[in-house]
Amino acid sequence: MVEPPNTDASPAGTPRWVKVFGVIAAVVVVVFVFLLLFGGGHGPGRHEGGAGPESPAGHTGPPPGVEHGENQP
Amino acid sequence: VTLKPGTRKLALTTHVVSSVGWLGAVVTSLALALAGLTSEDEDTVRAVYLAMESIGWFVLVPLSLASLLTGLVQSLGSAWGLFRHYWVVYKLLINVAATIVLLLYMQTLDHFARVAAVASASPGIPDALRSPSPLIHSVLALLLLLVATVLAVYKPRGVTPWGQRRLAQQRGR
Repeated sequence: MVEPPNTDASPAGTPRWVKVFGVIAAVVVVVFVFLLLFGGGHGPGRHEGGAGPESPAGHTGPPPGVEHGENQP
Repeated sequence: VTLKPGTRKLALTTHVVSSVGWLGAVVTSLALALAGLTSEDEDTVRAVYLAMESIGWFVLVPLSLASLLTGLVQSLGSAWGLFRHYWVVYKLLINVAATIVLLLYMQTLDHFARVAAVASASPGIPDALRSPSPLIHSVLALLLLLVATVLAVYKPRGVTPWGQRRLAQQRGR
């Protein structure tokens, strides 16, 4: 952001790169939402069983309420 | 709001340092995640997850917030503006999204660190510490930050409708 913007040289309308980026971003968001809703959840509980971290067998799960969006520090 | 040249240089320097530092810390996390996923040594794997949590809270989170804050100051204090150019808007969206995901994912890293800190009764590496999740998140974060860096360097042309209206107003004065 050092050089001043050259707005005179900007073509009218939305540039192609903006549209391409927008489509990619939309696809990523849709995939992310799809995985959140139908991918069995997201967060530490998705990767292991239901026991706590002190589980003697080492097959550990999240403490209650630890999922994305909950108990945010 | 237009910053004085000295202040603008300072804001730019802090923005570049925090953003590049964030990128470097993500690469470090990626290396640790890879080591945690592939190492066969239990102590190494546990240490990796404890290190990732520390790097998260003491490096990644502060640098991400600093990058976001200094980016806002830099854009609002210069002729680029915050919503006038598409590349600035995209960079802002990337920064905000990456920071939010990072803050949410810190809960997962906290959980992994708790598992790593507790000795298991059974020998071997706990299953929870064999998750590809840290590696996946590190790779995605790296891709996002690389895109943001490319946008900042190349500054591709494109003025938003808001920016065009502001430009027309300025020319009309």
